[in-house]
Amino acid sequence: MKNIFLLVFFSTIIFSSCKKEVLKQNVYDNVYYEVTPVTLYTSNAEKNKQKSSLQYISILFSDLFNQNIPGSDLNNIGEAILSIGDKGLANQLILERFLTLPGISIPTQTQMQADLNAFITSTYQRFYLRNPTEYEKIYLKNLIQNDSNITPEIVYAAFALSNEYMFY
Amino acid sequence: MKRRSFIKKAGLATAGTFFAPYILPSGRLFAAAGDRIVNHVVLVLFAGGVRHQESVGQAYLTYQGANSGNIMPNMFSGAMPSSNLLYTPWNPIQGSSLATQGTFFKELEYAQGPTGHYNGHTAAITGNYTDVGTNLAINPDFPTVFEYYRRHNDPAKSAINAWWMSEGLGPYPALNYSKHGMYGPMYGANYFRPYSTFGNIGLDYLNNGLTLQPDDVGRLNSIKNFFDSNFDKSASDLPGIINNSTDKEAIHAFMKDVLNRTQNGTVDFPLPNGIPTYEMTGDLINIQYTWEVLKNFHPELTVINTFNLDTCHSDFTGYLRNMHKADYGVGWLWNKIQNDPVLQNDTIMICMPDHGRNDLPNNVYDANGLRAFDHTSDANSRRVFALIVGPPNKVNQNLSLGSAGNPVGQTIDIVPTIAHILGFYDQIPSGMLPGQVLTQAFI
Repeated sequence: MKNIFLLVFFSTIIFSSCKKEVLKQNVYDNVYYEVTPVTLYTSNAEKNKQKSSLQYISILFSDLFNQNIPGSDLNNIGEAILSIGDKGLANQLILERFLTLPGISIPTQTQMQADLNAFITSTYQRFYLRNPTEYEKIYLKNLIQNDSNITPEIVYAAFALSNEYMFY
Repeated sequence: MKRRSFIKKAGLATAGTFFAPYILPSGRLFAAAGDRIVNHVVLVLFAGGVRHQESVGQAYLTYQGANSGNIMPNMFSGAMPSSNLLYTPWNPIQGSSLATQGTFFKELEYAQGPTGHYNGHTAAITGNYTDVGTNLAINPDFPTVFEYYRRHNDPAKSAINAWWMSEGLGPYPALNYSKHGMYGPMYGANYFRPYSTFGNIGLDYLNNGLTLQPDDVGRLNSIKNFFDSNFDKSASDLPGIINNSTDKEAIHAFMKDVLNRTQNGTVDFPLPNGIPTYEMTGDLINIQYTWEVLKNFHPELTVINTFNLDTCHSDFTGYLRNMHKADYGVGWLWNKIQNDPVLQNDTIMICMPDHGRNDLPNNVYDANGLRAFDHTSDANSRRVFALIVGPPNKVNQNLSLGSAGNPVGQTIDIVPTIAHILGFYDQIPSGMLPGQVLTQAFI
């Protein structure tokens, strides 16, 4: 009886002391900018909702300037969009305006050419919130390498006006 | 013999099956390109609620206990007020009134539905009365005149040929296409609200953008096409119309040009010589940029509105002033059209209010002690007019129709009339348009 009691006693001590401590841990293994941790899509097939005009503009502003768009600007841009029947055209004009504003975060032509792989990957992450596939990386790299007149602004504009950027 | 008869009948039945869908309400087998009266129509919704008394009736201050007079000398014939002038008279730009340059429906009826602005606009643009609430920014139930025009013309017309230009926002941007299942945005019109598009907001947020040379546009499109080929969804659900790429580029270039000229102050103003630009109203701004669209694209169908007259709810003096200015704007626009090599002698302009205003005033007095008027669906607010002006060999000149208590035509007749002018009325399925063509206007 005494042995059984000791066995239970020591078992309790041993098993309770070995209880595994579980810590909830968020691991961001696909982080970009090192500013705001954002989980990336694993593929563009996950995007199935279309952004509204205001969502598009506010996200575009954030992507280009690394900050939230001021509320007054968003209201005014909303009115500008409402005043134009072709919303795609409105988006294009606003994007073109954004690309000339001071404070935009965009690499220079030299920086782009210096490390095309890094530029392509970071631009995919910035606009599409995903990494490029190998095919996409190679194709875009060839395109840029073969045409020295392709500027970062043109690449950014193409991303921002593409169908994938309209979805989340 | 029976077998031969069977084959013959079966052949005819099969042929009938193929042809039947193309039998149109008019009885025609095929949608023939209809005969057009002219190739361009401009509909001016002289909106904001215009009392018949101060417009057609030329009452001026009669209902305020003073003198009468015509404050719309570009549109109507009649002597201007000679005393108690509450506005600065602008000399008419038209040598003879528009009423003499076409057919004047002096008494037209807004027969059904509330006399609200959205309802009035919708009735004029869709050819169907509506009871929908006034503040809903939704597309109308019935197809708009733009959709009929684009769908039933042969060959089909792209959106650059159809424009809706509104003085204000609110529900009005939604009037360029309907939510009707057979029509919708793919047949809609282009739309601007110039006060925003080309005003301060446009100058701040749409102007001075990155300018891409044609080669750069090609590069951009090449990269974009690659991206789009790797994504299986299309942003076709963007609200609004989508222009084809050629038209989109043309409108893009147009907007940049007009924004630049606005910034430089080189856009024509619909003002008499010597009148400063601060006299511009929202109505005149809308007319000013409508002309930019007309002269650049020569669209076949353009609809614009005025709206500032609605100040009559609280400011009768402002109502008179705005009516006088909007009248000048309409005369100026017609003058421009008549001096354009493409549009002159090939354009019909129709002017009509959205609805009228009440017979009796409300309880508000303006700064000059004048009574204000609402529009709450009384019989007087259903009294409107229409002017149909155009080339003398196409439109009956100096013809006046209708009188108080004897209206000729309704506001829902304008859509069928436009369809008649542009030659597609017979192609519109029967039952869609309850109104009639105002044939009296045409030779």
